[in-house]
Amino acid sequence: MSDFFDDENYNDGFEEDSYEHGMNLDLWRRLLGYTLSYRVEASILGVCAVTTAISEIAFPLITRAVIDQVAESGAALNYWYYGSLYMGFVALLAVSVGGFIWFGGKLRTHVSHDIRADGFANLQRLSFSFYDFRPVGWLMARMTSDVERLSNILAWGLLDLIWGCTMMLGIAVAMLFMDVSLGLIVLSVIPVLAWISLKFQRMILRSAREVRKTNSRITGSFNESIMGVRTTKAFVKEAENLKGFGTLTDTMFSASVLNKIQAALYLPLVLTLGAVASGLALVFGGLEVIWGTITAGTLVAFLAYARHFFEPIQELANWFAEMQMAQASAERIISLIESEPEIQDSADVRSRIAAPAGTAGLALDGYHDRIEQIRLEGVSFAYEPEHPVLKNVDLTINQGENIAIVGSTGGGKSTLVNLICRFYEPTAGSIRIDGVDYRERSLKWLQSNLGIVLQSSHIFGGTIRENIRYGRLDASDQDVTDAARRACAHDFIVAMEKGYDTEVGEGGSKLSAGQKQLISFARAVLADPKILIMDEATSSVDTVTEKQIQRGMRELLRGRISLVIAHRLSTIRDADRILVIEHGSIIEAGNHDELMQVQGRYHRLYTQQSLSQFTKESRSWQSAS
Amino acid sequence: MNDKNKALLLWQHTSGYRGIFSVAIIAMAIGYIFMFAVPLVARFAIDAIEQGDTFVPPSWVEAMTRLITGSTESGLLQYLIAAAIATVVLTAIAGLFLYVRGRCSAVASEGIVRRLRERIYSHLEHLPASYHDRSDTGDLLQRCSSDMETVRVFLAAQIIEISRALLMLITVLPILFALDIRMAWLSLATMPILFIAAVVFFQRVKNLFLTVDESEARMTTTLQENLTGIRVVRAFARQSYETEKFSARNAEFRDENQKLIGLLGIYYAISDFICLSQIGLLLLAGAAWVYQGSLTVGDLFAFITYEGMIIWPIRHMGRVLTDSGKAIVAMGRIAEVLGEPVESQNETDPRQPLSGHIAFDNVSFEYEPGRPVLRDISFSIEPGQTLAILGPPGSGKSTIAQLLMRLYDYHQGSIRIDDIELSTLSRKYVRSQVAIVLQEPFLYSASVRANLRVGRINATEDEVLAATRAAAIHESIEGFPRRYDSMVGERGVTLSGGQRQRLALARALLKKPPILILDDALSAVDTDTESQILTSLAEARHAQTTIIIAHRLSTVMHADKILVLNEGAVAQEGGHDDLAETDGIYRNLCEIQGAIQDQIDADVREFEHERLF
Repeated sequence: MSDFFDDENYNDGFEEDSYEHGMNLDLWRRLLGYTLSYRVEASILGVCAVTTAISEIAFPLITRAVIDQVAESGAALNYWYYGSLYMGFVALLAVSVGGFIWFGGKLRTHVSHDIRADGFANLQRLSFSFYDFRPVGWLMARMTSDVERLSNILAWGLLDLIWGCTMMLGIAVAMLFMDVSLGLIVLSVIPVLAWISLKFQRMILRSAREVRKTNSRITGSFNESIMGVRTTKAFVKEAENLKGFGTLTDTMFSASVLNKIQAALYLPLVLTLGAVASGLALVFGGLEVIWGTITAGTLVAFLAYARHFFEPIQELANWFAEMQMAQASAERIISLIESEPEIQDSADVRSRIAAPAGTAGLALDGYHDRIEQIRLEGVSFAYEPEHPVLKNVDLTINQGENIAIVGSTGGGKSTLVNLICRFYEPTAGSIRIDGVDYRERSLKWLQSNLGIVLQSSHIFGGTIRENIRYGRLDASDQDVTDAARRACAHDFIVAMEKGYDTEVGEGGSKLSAGQKQLISFARAVLADPKILIMDEATSSVDTVTEKQIQRGMRELLRGRISLVIAHRLSTIRDADRILVIEHGSIIEAGNHDELMQVQGRYHRLYTQQSLSQFTKESRSWQSAS
Repeated sequence: MNDKNKALLLWQHTSGYRGIFSVAIIAMAIGYIFMFAVPLVARFAIDAIEQGDTFVPPSWVEAMTRLITGSTESGLLQYLIAAAIATVVLTAIAGLFLYVRGRCSAVASEGIVRRLRERIYSHLEHLPASYHDRSDTGDLLQRCSSDMETVRVFLAAQIIEISRALLMLITVLPILFALDIRMAWLSLATMPILFIAAVVFFQRVKNLFLTVDESEARMTTTLQENLTGIRVVRAFARQSYETEKFSARNAEFRDENQKLIGLLGIYYAISDFICLSQIGLLLLAGAAWVYQGSLTVGDLFAFITYEGMIIWPIRHMGRVLTDSGKAIVAMGRIAEVLGEPVESQNETDPRQPLSGHIAFDNVSFEYEPGRPVLRDISFSIEPGQTLAILGPPGSGKSTIAQLLMRLYDYHQGSIRIDDIELSTLSRKYVRSQVAIVLQEPFLYSASVRANLRVGRINATEDEVLAATRAAAIHESIEGFPRRYDSMVGERGVTLSGGQRQRLALARALLKKPPILILDDALSAVDTDTESQILTSLAEARHAQTTIIIAHRLSTVMHADKILVLNEGAVAQEGGHDDLAETDGIYRNLCEIQGAIQDQIDADVREFEHERLF
């Protein structure tokens, strides 16, 4: 599934191209902090990289010495000496390779773990407004593929940087040490090689990215075709869908062929350049051997080095390009980890929470642990300044009051509730709990006193029992069953094959919409909150079930503040107070009888739902035909 | 299906691309012949240098030298220059052939995979609904994406890797044995050990790769659940609980992955040791023979270079072969889907529109043998009539709709549309005549307009507007940031349940079908809007036969005929007035919902009464 989220289709304003030129070093320094918190491992990794490079450089030198001894000096070879020297370096190389993979792997997995952990922790703090503009798929892409890409750079990139630099430096030193002029001649190929490598690596990476992007679109397309197969059949859209899919696979075909052609061009170019270096070594080295300035062994060593130095250049060019391309990822991750939630405890609240616990019965922020009155004074709210959602709302809710909220979609019902829950804060005005502005109180305290049942209730994967227990983690099995009974969920749960231990599937996929709502309802019952919020919570249950829930509801609402948003007015008749909200204002407030008396909006809504209304309609239905 | 058959299947899917694949492999073979000539050139050059004036080159070397340098002299300098030029030219030619290989194999492998992808896509859409019921979406998706990717990598890389290793051995062995038989045997000394060790190792860690994938999937799932349920997490202030849960998964993935990489580290350390010892062996033995005079320095150089070229691909073989094994399994999983029979497609297609007469005659149906969902259902609807179906969850209401769409095949009883047996009509034809709106409708991730046009692709703008107005969704759409061009789904506007239902209804209305089915399609729409929609449906009533499946009495009571289902059988049938009088399920429902309605009626009367005075 991870490739599903390797997705750059989410346009978020971070344009990849704008990062391709130049490096934002500050960004990388901040990320390097993750690597450097493993100083020991990073140091060992560095040492292993250096010793690997040194042993690789040593082999041609040993070969040179051996050849010189047998071919030039005419003396018998000291097998033990050279054998153990050679094997010593083989052992060093093997240990270094094992070491750098081991420690590099440790670094890489730990760095990605740490970045992800920080990201996750911050995601739990960030306000709802952060989530409003970032789809889950976008966040998943950041937390999975972006993190993997960065941790690769931060571990393996670092390793290759040290290895590549040591290797190139070592080869250069070895060549110049053996023969300065021949060394310079052979090394003259390096700038061309580096330039070509950088160009190609960047090109290859870019087209590889195009391939990945198309691939994730193809996966998305498969997903859609499977999920929507009935709709496709119902509308006979098979041929048309296949045509759309065909253009995707065409894009995929040309993108991946292009990517491979680039790679197929790069390798021969590099090999040929290497051959030029070998050729130069052969001509000039050969002449020097004839003149006697160098030995045959040295020539062989030069030829070996000429074959070897394109490797580190290729690697370094690859990482450099990768880093340039990954800057957008780095930026996004940093912003994810470092963004501050818009809503959080003030410094004052934090210091009070940190202070040693005072008298028993107080909340963690030092105020009373009870909610007797919630008071909204001149509260306004807007997501965008030009479109106010709530305008200057005044409202007082007292302990034990059951409030129902009705009104048209988009009128501001859910916003009002979200403000009271402090998922958002008012853009003007204030909300006071027992006289204290709730911004002076602990966010955690308020929100742990809430119980919420949403319109589309989210169910976690796992068993039914685990889902209900989410309301109170230390609840006993008996408590869970009781809560389910009160929410009228018990009967259908025990009717299932494994009862409370039934696995509900990812996102509750094995339950019907009505069952999901009953479970989320039981969850809220178990939480026994001071404030209970229900948002059209009974829309998907059939009439009989809804009747059952309402019976349990009456019991549940007693003694606590509740806010119920409902479309079916019959369900809220017993509310202590009904608020009618239209266009961001409370236009009517009062209990059922009072509002019926007023003959206003509520009266109209209510009568619309009546049976007699439908009789009238049925006449129009018949006259229409 | 055994492995041989799976491999055969993959072979069948390569038809049309075998030619270009062969070109790739031949190009690679030629490329390696040129590549292997390069160390030979250097060998002659080194020997020429070493032996100085006593060097007597074979006549062809001399001829080549004359040809390359263009001079009639053949001194040492000429040999060197010729060798240098030959090195570059041979490498460039080899490079050219390797480029041809890369290009051809890319076209072939990507082409095969493109065809395979399109085939499985089309196949999935033509598989019967019952297949989709049985199969798990995640599993199917995995076959289409990651299994397909495994096959792609196999075709694009692993086949090439295997042929490369084989071709290298085939081309280099004659050269080695021609150069020096002792050295040739010696250079092969550790290869079997290396090869076997590699294969055994990767077979062993195969499961560990799987474990890492699984723990990554668990981590991803936990993350995704947290993010999709973030509102619930906040609502219960469960941040620390969630963080703990995620930490565990995150750490588990880290540790599994680290274990795997650590094992790979050990493997690479050991295999490097073997490879380099092999080269060391050649060096020392070769040096001894050079000292004896039975081997030239050039030969030694050539052997060491060749060894360096062929030993690494052999070390790599273990990984390649293991991955190829995975590709065979993946191909099998893809073939399994492709092997499933698709819906029958050769029934007749009358071409003229239906009038909308429907008759069920003793229809029984079961999704799984032994668990009947419908028992002996009989009813009929005249064209233009409205039939309402009512009943508790699981009573078989939706099944009737699904049978009418020919999403499932019935085997007992008879369903006739316009007096033609349904099963003799082509599915495409039936579906083009029936439109259905589901309780949880599926919308494509495309613009609102594109979603509506799914109903009828060539609908005019006016027709689209008429449909959205009738479904009472026009105003909501006008409120979206980009109106009819807003994207539906995660990357665009998030629609409420009611909006989704109304959009799906508009889509169905646009189709202007002779038969319209609403399968609990207005459950999330508020009553105010619902009555508005029902009125507009009533206006279009003469045009189509309508089947309404619903919970609310208010929705069903005005239908021409009401069918009450219970446990798959027709419990009651008739008009609202008749049923409300008769003892039975319908009257019970009336009583429950009626109690509420009575209350409303009473209220309204009371207040109207007050107003009068």
